[in-house]
Amino acid sequence: MAKETFTEAMIVAKDPQDSKTTKPKTTFIGFVADKGIFFFTGILVLTAVLFVDGFASLQNVTDVFHRAAPIGIVALGMTFVVITGNYLDLSVVAQAAAAGVILIAVSNAYNLIIAFAVAFVVAIIFGLANGIAVGYFKANAVIVTLATTYIGLGLLRLLSGGSQVFGPADGPIATFGTSKLGPFPYSAVVLVAVTLVLTFVLTRTNFGFTIRSFGVNGSATRLAGTNTGLIVIGAFMVTSMAAMFAGFVLAAFSNTAVSNMASGFDFQALAAIIVGGTSVFGGKGSVPRTLLGVVFVSILSNVLVLVQVSYGFQQVAIGSLIVLAVTVDALGRRVSKK
Amino acid sequence: MTNQTVIKVGSKATGFWGKFRTLLARRTEGRAVVLFAIIATVVTVSQPLVFTAYQVTLGRIALIGLVALGLTAVILMGELDLSVASTLAVSGVIAVTVANQTNMAIGVLAALAAGVVISLINAFFVAIVGINSFIATLGMLFALRGMAFVISDEAPVKLQNTDLGIAFGQPLLGPLTPRILIFFLIFIAIQIFVSRVKAGREFLAVGGNRQAAYDAGIPVKRRIFTGFIISGVVAAIAGIINAVERTSADPTSGSTVLLASFAAAIIGGNYLKGGKGSIVGTLIGAASLGMLQVALTISGVQIPIQEIFIGGILLIAVITDPSSLRAVWGSLSTTFQGIKNSLAK
Repeated sequence: MAKETFTEAMIVAKDPQDSKTTKPKTTFIGFVADKGIFFFTGILVLTAVLFVDGFASLQNVTDVFHRAAPIGIVALGMTFVVITGNYLDLSVVAQAAAAGVILIAVSNAYNLIIAFAVAFVVAIIFGLANGIAVGYFKANAVIVTLATTYIGLGLLRLLSGGSQVFGPADGPIATFGTSKLGPFPYSAVVLVAVTLVLTFVLTRTNFGFTIRSFGVNGSATRLAGTNTGLIVIGAFMVTSMAAMFAGFVLAAFSNTAVSNMASGFDFQALAAIIVGGTSVFGGKGSVPRTLLGVVFVSILSNVLVLVQVSYGFQQVAIGSLIVLAVTVDALGRRVSKK
Repeated sequence: MTNQTVIKVGSKATGFWGKFRTLLARRTEGRAVVLFAIIATVVTVSQPLVFTAYQVTLGRIALIGLVALGLTAVILMGELDLSVASTLAVSGVIAVTVANQTNMAIGVLAALAAGVVISLINAFFVAIVGINSFIATLGMLFALRGMAFVISDEAPVKLQNTDLGIAFGQPLLGPLTPRILIFFLIFIAIQIFVSRVKAGREFLAVGGNRQAAYDAGIPVKRRIFTGFIISGVVAAIAGIINAVERTSADPTSGSTVLLASFAAAIIGGNYLKGGKGSIVGTLIGAASLGMLQVALTISGVQIPIQEIFIGGILLIAVITDPSSLRAVWGSLSTTFQGIKNSLAK
């Protein structure tokens, strides 16, 4: 109990946003870094509704959420890794694809329960491999997850033969993918549920507190008696679980799965996280912010598709968005440190 | 020589054995040499064809190693340039597109200029704005890949001057093709720059302790710019070579290069936090990986298994880094001490 209050006090003392006594003068760039996403999302939605044909239809909005769900779930989980200050988990591309292929292939061959169990074990292996290498071996997360991505995708291609797997048309997976709860597809419901659970974990549990304090000051957290290696493993494990659910949702959406179906998830999830205001320097960030970032990135992609921008320019846009958001974050930090 | 770390074992070490130990403590290529020896032995026994067809092997080593050489210059300073993969794709597409409209020389110049501009943008975000280079270049990786798609209209661009492409694949000097010659020239140039030129030697100082380097009067920001320009231009050269040799530029190329070149640089003993490492190490790392890939290809091993092999080697290389092993040893000894203390109670 004493440990918990200590880490919480540490966050308060370190984070100028929370502290009443050491609050610095808010500058424009600091304000943009902190609250900008709310305005930008508002402006984007308003512009899209007014000027883009076909945006403000119920069909399109449902479609946006349907497409946002898998990337969103990945981003929500990956927020934990970013908050620990370990940049990102590139291997979500392999993890989500593996979960999707396993779900359909194994449930075709055996049944759904065994498919869930196998996917769960695979997710745990991914989380452990990434977490141990980054947490205990103190290796660079980008390089480690780049390596595990290739190992994972290689194994997946080898075992699945690289071909697409299809589920039965009237099976439970297909039913899940097409059903709706009121106007919302089930995938959007899963997205909201994951948001609620992960928000609870990050803000209301001891684990969440320690993740945040580790992100603010890793060595202080270690000296306070926390097993920091376990914390990093935990963060990667959360990401793995989220990537697993994202793979399920993605596979159910089209009732098929293939090894490259999640390509681009790593960058889009990172874009959503950073745009949402979670700092790549670690320590600062929240799950609802990532959800907002997901909404922003998804609406932006949707608008770009609707106004018929080519695929290449869409990638340029998201890449520039990452760099821009990180720049604003870095400048905001520089101002708040002064 | 190229190594900055001064370890005072030399004072007592005399004789051949002592000198050998001093050398061993100073160099960072240990793991690379071990891996090279293992792979060379296995390959000699199982696939001697790799050495008979040394031209193919050298070509593969040059393919993997070229980008890795430029990358090493940035890694020595403790930064990372993930955008090299897309720089390679963009410069290849630019070279072929411009060459088709004018001539090859202007195409090459345009591609090199693109490499310089890209690295200036990278270095601006890292040195001036102060963004972590992992994230800045990651964003650039994505944006530039899109750029390659935009310029090429989302399809591979064919080089019209196919004679040049064919000539480029032929041996130029003895058995060596232009690609291999360019690779060795760039290796020698960067090796001399990093070990003999003042600006290059300062890379290690910038990587080892940036504040100290700054206090010592080293223009840190300018060095970071130089490093990124080296990696960007070398990646652009690799892109041009790929495009000319295959007489077509593919906007999706480069994604496998990213893994292989990082693997080569990290196996080579280049410390990712900067300050330790050598270009020679990268060369040995690239040679090991090139031999391994050619051996696997000759043995008819599928591409996914090759990816697993290289991914696995990269993972092992990054966790057997001396500092990683020290971190694990530290946490293990703390755990054992905890167990011992609780047993004593």
